[in-house]
Amino acid sequence: MTGPPEFRDLVGDDLPAEERARLERVHELLRAAGPPPELPPSLIEAPDRAERSPSWLPRRRLGAGLALAAAIATIAFLGGYLAGYRHNSFKVDHEISMRGTSLAPGASGLIKIGERDASGNSQMLVTARGLPRLPERGYYELFLTRKGKPVARCGSFTVRPGTTNVKFTVPYAMARFDGWVVSVWSPASHGEPGPVVLRT
Amino acid sequence: MSAALTLRPGLPGTFRLATIQVVAPDPMTDGELIARVGEGDSGAFELLYRRYARPVFALALRRLGDRGRAEDAVQETFASVWRSAGSYRLERGPGAPWLYAVARNAIVDRHRARGDPVAEPVDEASHYSGPPERAEAGWIAWRVHRALAELPDQERRLIELAYWSGLSQSEIAEFLNVPLGTVKTRTRSALARLADLLEGELS
Repeated sequence: MTGPPEFRDLVGDDLPAEERARLERVHELLRAAGPPPELPPSLIEAPDRAERSPSWLPRRRLGAGLALAAAIATIAFLGGYLAGYRHNSFKVDHEISMRGTSLAPGASGLIKIGERDASGNSQMLVTARGLPRLPERGYYELFLTRKGKPVARCGSFTVRPGTTNVKFTVPYAMARFDGWVVSVWSPASHGEPGPVVLRT
Repeated sequence: MSAALTLRPGLPGTFRLATIQVVAPDPMTDGELIARVGEGDSGAFELLYRRYARPVFALALRRLGDRGRAEDAVQETFASVWRSAGSYRLERGPGAPWLYAVARNAIVDRHRARGDPVAEPVDEASHYSGPPERAEAGWIAWRVHRALAELPDQERRLIELAYWSGLSQSEIAEFLNVPLGTVKTRTRSALARLADLLEGELS
């Protein structure tokens, strides 16, 4: 893993001078622009005709409301059932699915979250599917997010082709966060979360 | 179909070493799409949204510094596009600057009205020369992100990995499970394609 790419490493030495200069300008523009952010699920589809009017309910709030209602209904329905159900020795409280970003479009994930124990810790079982194996010394990191930004590190893991299951224990109160992301660890980011490959 | 050698018109003997896959360009320019949206064409609106949702979101995030507020701003921007596309005149200029102005106004207006602070009220100047709005760093990012959206998926992924993942070329090859030579060829191809798309920003 390295820092920002060197232009010469990217294009080699065998370009005519004019073309080299042209591509180097693009290289500068890319570095100046920075990465385009991943679109949140609520923005993937274009708003339909009704939503283009000025008095709409923002879809992310509508979506959040629906998700909350669905979550309450699911928890109520499954409460009794889950009370006796244990998965890998912890009681599953709820599940959240993750989808691959444009960097890993074929990947997906599932997070099973256990109840907080008497000490205030929660267990999580993370299942990652289709994430590419990282180069030696590379690993993925799971973060809790607030307003979509990764703010609390839950742990790190590597994967092998196919499906990988990882168990974490975290001391966080989940209600204080609004989702999860999985990012690629990179020394170039100086401790900040790297590019996101999975997002709830 | 691929062209291993592309002659530059008007410069005999000067050539570009590139292996660029020739893809069918989008049949309509941004300006033509906006004009269609002005006539109530929903298909044109969806196409415009696919082209610009990420650049608008990036601009909103840059200005507002908050993903939730940026999401609202994207929705407001495209509602504005839908409402005001009828006022766009193709003969007055291309679509990208018009959309940039609509997005910038929608972002600022919405959050000024709500009394929310704006993280980046005045865009910083970049070191690129040109008309004032084009010297904004936000404009540069806008054009670059729009151009990235035009790349074939495999080239766009490669550029994103090469520039913003911290992975070396050989690590990208391992990550994508393709030979290192393919990574290098595709990277050069992608840069050449971006150079074509960003012709106006390179001068």
